[in-house]
Amino acid sequence: MRTRGNTAGRVRTGLLLSLIAAALALMLLSLPLCEFTSSVYSKRLGNTKVGDEKYVTARSEAEAELARHIQETGRTAELREDVLERVNSKGVTTTMITLTVEEKQTRSGWAFMASGLTAGRELLLLAACVALSGVFLAVSVLRSPGKAPRQLSGMDKGLRGAACWLALAALIILPVFMLTCNVELIRRVSLGAAGLTDATATVSRIDRFLFEGKAGENALTMAAGMSLRRLWPLWALLPVLAALLCGAILVCRGSLGAQLARGALYLFVIVLCVLILYPYYVMLITAFRDNAESTDMNFLHLWPTRWLWGNLNAIVDRGVLQYLGNSILLAGGATAIALLCGIPAAYAMARMRFRGRNAYLGFIIMSQMFAPVVLLVGISTLMRNLGLNDSIPGLMLINAAFNQAFAVWLLHGTFRAISPEMEQAACIDGCGTVGALIRVLLPMAMPGVVTTLIFVFINAWNEYTISTVLISTPAKRPITVGITQFSSFNMIEWHLLFASALLATIPVVILFMCIEKHLVSGLTAGGVKG
Amino acid sequence: MDAIHYRRWWTPYLWLLPSVLLMLIFVVFPIGIVFRLSFSEISRAGVVGGFVGLDNFIAAVREAAFPTVMWNTLIWVVSVVGLSTLIGFVVALVLNSEFHGRKLARSIVVFPWATSLVVQASIWNYIIKAEYGNLNSLLLNTGLISHAVNWRSSYQVEFIWECGVGIFVTIPFVAFTVLAGLQSIDGAYYEAATVDGAGFWKKLRHVTLPLVRPSLTISTVLNIIYVFNSFPIIYTITKGAPAHKTDTMVTYLYMLAFYEQQKGPATAMSMIGFILLCVVAGLYMAATMRKEAQ
Repeated sequence: MRTRGNTAGRVRTGLLLSLIAAALALMLLSLPLCEFTSSVYSKRLGNTKVGDEKYVTARSEAEAELARHIQETGRTAELREDVLERVNSKGVTTTMITLTVEEKQTRSGWAFMASGLTAGRELLLLAACVALSGVFLAVSVLRSPGKAPRQLSGMDKGLRGAACWLALAALIILPVFMLTCNVELIRRVSLGAAGLTDATATVSRIDRFLFEGKAGENALTMAAGMSLRRLWPLWALLPVLAALLCGAILVCRGSLGAQLARGALYLFVIVLCVLILYPYYVMLITAFRDNAESTDMNFLHLWPTRWLWGNLNAIVDRGVLQYLGNSILLAGGATAIALLCGIPAAYAMARMRFRGRNAYLGFIIMSQMFAPVVLLVGISTLMRNLGLNDSIPGLMLINAAFNQAFAVWLLHGTFRAISPEMEQAACIDGCGTVGALIRVLLPMAMPGVVTTLIFVFINAWNEYTISTVLISTPAKRPITVGITQFSSFNMIEWHLLFASALLATIPVVILFMCIEKHLVSGLTAGGVKG
Repeated sequence: MDAIHYRRWWTPYLWLLPSVLLMLIFVVFPIGIVFRLSFSEISRAGVVGGFVGLDNFIAAVREAAFPTVMWNTLIWVVSVVGLSTLIGFVVALVLNSEFHGRKLARSIVVFPWATSLVVQASIWNYIIKAEYGNLNSLLLNTGLISHAVNWRSSYQVEFIWECGVGIFVTIPFVAFTVLAGLQSIDGAYYEAATVDGAGFWKKLRHVTLPLVRPSLTISTVLNIIYVFNSFPIIYTITKGAPAHKTDTMVTYLYMLAFYEQQKGPATAMSMIGFILLCVVAGLYMAATMRKEAQ
């Protein structure tokens, strides 16, 4: 009984909290949210001082401009004077004075909504979410007051759930609004002024929104010199909307802690995934842009303006297909060798008792210590002596050898995890050890074998260091070395580099995603039990 | 009984032979060559002369860049292994809990592991370019900054970025090794702990941590080895410039051997690297083993 009473109390608190928050949010929307400063007139004076003749003339000119502007538009404006003092190389102090006539104006949330700007539509959506959320909560609580969340009818449950989602949507829309505002009102206009995009439609909307449609031909210049400041009501909306969400959750579930923890979990996962995908996104968009666009800081599109599939033709002309073929050959060969040597070894260690078994396992683990990079001088000397320098088979053998440790380790774990009874039965039936391995054990160990196979393949595919040293003929390069041809000392052709990198990355990422599930069990088998 | 019978005593060695041969020729032999070269005189043209004792080691240690390189290696290994283990552990805990889209999240987290380090390093090299990098472009367009920021104003900052990229690409490995450990924990432990009234933190300290310690040990030891030997990130982003100030031992010895034609000191650096690695990995293993034994 006591918990139920508590729950009802919490529901009441939640309702109160969310109604206050909703009302507060709607009130905040009617306060000025953003301040726009557009300069109408600007003059910079060098080599002058405050009070001298040049200054007085300029100042009176600016004042005249100010008066004219106020008279023409009927809006308020002000004159700003920035004085910058600097000591030049001769030790003389010079002054630079900038006179600016600025028009400062603020716009409330409702003004945004009426403007027809995308940012305004988002704000409208936000207001709708807040209002609906409040209404839903109030209605559902009034319909069944005092009931615990578990005893509610489907209708009330649905209403409360919807209120939660609406409150969450409002909280998400707010930062989106802040970003859109900036992109739409500042960046896109300044790009238009620089002739980089056609901003006519945007500018006419901004003209209507900020200058009551009176700016006319000056609209682009005025908007281009504009800066935006977010005022406190906009920031205050964040905690208010968060409070609305908390209230809604309280009403919906009767408790808060578990839901907040869950929310934090999802937030963490989303941030993590976005962060991990960010470089891939950069690679994708850059791969399909042209060089001018990919070295342009003002690029504000989420995707390339035109998808340049021609980049793929360009990299094919530069031999990337050949490199990809080399990589497939190299990685495939290395995998085959590593498995052909690794499977028997892992089998013997998992199934036979002999002297030196543990020693070899220890050696396998120790050998991880010696990375090919550190041994590069030794490897290149050895390969030269064996006549395998600058050849793909040589690379195959090296890659197979350096992946041998991991292959044996993983396979050993996999084989150990499978009971030997089936093979023993097969041996009694007259099938030899080799037959038992191929016909009985391997089919059962397939997931582990495939994991090992893909893992070795990916390692060999991604290998870079040995290949740079051993391969000197361009036509024999694997793709990891091949992509470096697009970066030279003073210029990097990023779009071609990333187009090739994309081709080199997609297949292995897909392969890796296939084994991801087995990888965990493989690592468990190899690592913890082995 | 888990063994199978074989008739001749040498059968297992026959099974082992291909693997042993492969390792012997392509791993053990180069080690021997490096060992021999580090005590030999090598001319600039690469002609190997006679035994010179510790001359190569002395030359390597006396190089002006040696202290910087050692210091960088220390920072590189400690920061990348430390932070990626910490973050990777948290990521593993999160990926082990139930939520919608967990499968997708796991597939995404595996991405950096599957990608070639050269590719990852090239992308980050592009992202942090001051003149046109995507980071500046993104932040400018969203209004989070109003002027382009030079993200690589000095070599120290560049080295920090390199460590960051190192951490970024190492997290999946740690996360998945720890995840493997987490999944092998019997749910009954947690049920018992819940019955005893243990909260989230208590369960983490007294159930999860002791039980994943073996996986954590393995991932840390392997990580120390991998991170120490990691080459493409630094080589792609700064190439050790300016004047070996951002080099670690591995990139430094590569530069010595293949750019500056100083194979002698380079092989000496290799040997120093081995010894350090063996000592550090050995000490770490011993320390954790002793803790487990207690």
